[in-house]
Amino acid sequence: MSSKVCKHCGSSDIDVDQARGDAVCMGCGSVLEDNIIVSEVEFVESGGGSLAVGQFVSSEGGNKNPSFGDGYFPGTGSESRAQTLQRAKHHIYTLGHQLQMNQHCLDTAFNFYKIALNKSLTRGRKAIHVIAACIYLVCRTEGTPHMLLDLSDIVQVNVWVLGKTFLLLSRELCINAPAIDPCLYIPRFTQMLEFGEKSREVSMTALRLVQRMKRDWMHTGRRPSGLCGAALLVAARLHDFCRTIKEIVNVVKVCETTLRKRLTEFEDTPTSQLTIEEFMKVDLDQECDPPCFTAGLKKKKSQQLELELKKKIEDFEDEIHGYQDEIDLELESCRPKLRGVYAAYTKEECLSDALNSTSSKGTEEMTESNELLAVAKHFGKELHEITLEALIKLEKEGSEEDENQQENENIPKRKGPTLASILGRMSSSATLGLSESISNCAVDDVEKDDITDNGELDLSGIDDSEIDFYLLSDNEVKIKTALWMAENSDYLKEQKEKEAKIQKEKELGIYKEKKPRSQSRRNTTIRAKTADEAIEKMLEQKKISTKINYDVLKDLNVKPSPSQASEAESPKLKQSATRTAGSNRRPAPTRTPLSLSTPLSTLGKRLQPFISKQPNKKLAVEKTEATSSPTVTEVAHPSEVVVEHGPVIYDDVEEEEDEEEPCVSAMELLGGDGYGCDGEYDDGY
Amino acid sequence: MDSKNDEALDIIVTNVVATFRTRCHLNLRKIALEGTNVIYKPEMGKVLMKLRKPKITASIWSSGKIICTGATSEEEAKLGARRLARCLQKLGFKVRFSAFRVVNVLAVCSMPFAVHLINFTTNNRPIASYEPELHPAATYRIKNLKATVQVFSTGSLTVTGPNVQNVAAAVEHIYPILYECQKPRCK
Repeated sequence: MSSKVCKHCGSSDIDVDQARGDAVCMGCGSVLEDNIIVSEVEFVESGGGSLAVGQFVSSEGGNKNPSFGDGYFPGTGSESRAQTLQRAKHHIYTLGHQLQMNQHCLDTAFNFYKIALNKSLTRGRKAIHVIAACIYLVCRTEGTPHMLLDLSDIVQVNVWVLGKTFLLLSRELCINAPAIDPCLYIPRFTQMLEFGEKSREVSMTALRLVQRMKRDWMHTGRRPSGLCGAALLVAARLHDFCRTIKEIVNVVKVCETTLRKRLTEFEDTPTSQLTIEEFMKVDLDQECDPPCFTAGLKKKKSQQLELELKKKIEDFEDEIHGYQDEIDLELESCRPKLRGVYAAYTKEECLSDALNSTSSKGTEEMTESNELLAVAKHFGKELHEITLEALIKLEKEGSEEDENQQENENIPKRKGPTLASILGRMSSSATLGLSESISNCAVDDVEKDDITDNGELDLSGIDDSEIDFYLLSDNEVKIKTALWMAENSDYLKEQKEKEAKIQKEKELGIYKEKKPRSQSRRNTTIRAKTADEAIEKMLEQKKISTKINYDVLKDLNVKPSPSQASEAESPKLKQSATRTAGSNRRPAPTRTPLSLSTPLSTLGKRLQPFISKQPNKKLAVEKTEATSSPTVTEVAHPSEVVVEHGPVIYDDVEEEEDEEEPCVSAMELLGGDGYGCDGEYDDGY
Repeated sequence: MDSKNDEALDIIVTNVVATFRTRCHLNLRKIALEGTNVIYKPEMGKVLMKLRKPKITASIWSSGKIICTGATSEEEAKLGARRLARCLQKLGFKVRFSAFRVVNVLAVCSMPFAVHLINFTTNNRPIASYEPELHPAATYRIKNLKATVQVFSTGSLTVTGPNVQNVAAAVEHIYPILYECQKPRCK
């Protein structure tokens, strides 16, 4: 305020009324200022109440100043953030209504979404994932009986993906959702299983069962729905309802095996021994260990037992070996000495026999590896390609030979331990027949701590000969190449075709590195002075359709000749009502008479409603056809009417005109929602 | 120092993942055709090569980056990586062994008691998270050690961290917390 002192009387007592916008001196009563610029909020009466006058400018919003007149989007905010929020809200409400959640929860979910948006957690994630996660977050904090599985069913997204997003959200938003209590799900499942009048009792029993399960530690680490399923099954049977496992599986969404397992686990608890009445009244104090814990203990015990048994077996083995040796000696002494050629052979066999029976590791290894090499040569493969089965076969052959040579009773047990000892060795060394290199490497294995960053490969501890095993010889390379080519022929073909294509395109000069998304057209708004210009420009920009007679369209400025047009129009319109949108653009062979610039007055009362909303540019062409025929009867329902003033802007809303569309009714084509004609516009022209 | 009992907890390292670079371009097809124990995955653009002695699986990319998994100790990982580089050298590539780095270590450990997961999560709210619908274990992330511990209700843990010391430190860190939430043995 400039004046602090009144000019006339000099008093400094000035009353400034912000609402009226004037400054009055209290001393002499003279008006010092009026029409001060006020910054009050004004309200305007409108249909449902009073609206504040003004434009919404978001605080987070972009730098774009909303331009007046252009860029007019009916019903939506013009800024990206507002649009995102609007879309998210819509999605949240749709999902929420499908889940029958109340309004309060949905609002909370929307708030979560806003926070997530501010923290840029929506970047790089599909919007629907974030929305579903927000909703589930609300479900957990409010304690509604909605499972993540339900959400994933509706949204058709993998449960684990949703779960990941949910976990991330809850971590970032620092929202600690309380743990899921299986008791929450019981009423919901009971309802779905339709127990009728007894549902309350059944649910009570089921609740008690679940609580008992909780105390018996069956619920940690398990899906709550599984427990509920088992509890409900038992409760139903207790109350003489025969619900099959299949029905329960459908409701609870766990598989049969899980249910059975839960039931068996429950069976193991002492509670299962109680009768029904006892169960309802008495609560056992004793608690159990979680079932997997007991299973683990059992495993440990059985392993220990096995070890003990093994030891015992080994002891027996030694005894048996001792006996064997004795028997051998005896036989040797008793056997008649062979003379001649065969004497030499028997001696050799005995020697090998003795070697085998002493089972010294080194010699066995040697024989083994020699045998392996022999086998390998026989099969033409590399040493390390021999599988375990081959080795087992070999072992059997070897032991069979031994048995034959011994001429003794079969000691089948002999097979077992040698194989076991071999297996034992194998598991520790993990190679077949590479024992020498193992011992070498074990000695040479000296690690140098400093990393030679210049890239030199430190060869200490690396046995070259072993590495050579990893490389195939030339012959093998050829074989493998042939095999590989045969195996991957499809893939190679594809690659060749791709390359050929790229070559061709390069030659033709239309080769694009990557197909860029055709988004360039999205943002260009056509500005035209008249509707006709707008249509022309739009058509130029749009893809050229084969179904449009462009010469005809160019003459859009010609005035209408209603009579000749009407006959042409009405059959065409009848067709247009049933055909796809693209083909609807086919104008009549005779002229499409009207342009939008023809005043409404010439059209007649019936046709005014057919001028519809602007964003649908299909309609622009349709309109011209439709408005020409006054006798159109099938397009009976007037659509929402918008009378256009001034220049008309058509936004390039992406419309899939060239794609297949199902039969679209003429009303939809004209953009009508079936709302009925607004009374105001029926002005009686 | 720590509230461990007299009996020592066995921390068994089950997997060590390491990466290194060969500083030269590798022809995957040649490796696939001339090496044994290789699987070529052209759609993913890599070759899987399995070594026997340190039992290691290596993913080899044509850019020369290699990831080795399956080793049971850091030294073994380094040995296996060097072997692999040697093997590639023999195939004819000018391999230089550089930027060897252990990326991840996975270890398992077992507590002598069972753990009450729900109490555990409630006490350690933002650090621990437990989602029975998704995974039977509670996840505990130690930020300064960059380690993640997954606690099962039986008392078994799996710990993942950038190196073996971190993993051991993580176990020591989490032991007292678990001790408080233990479930008393009854049978």
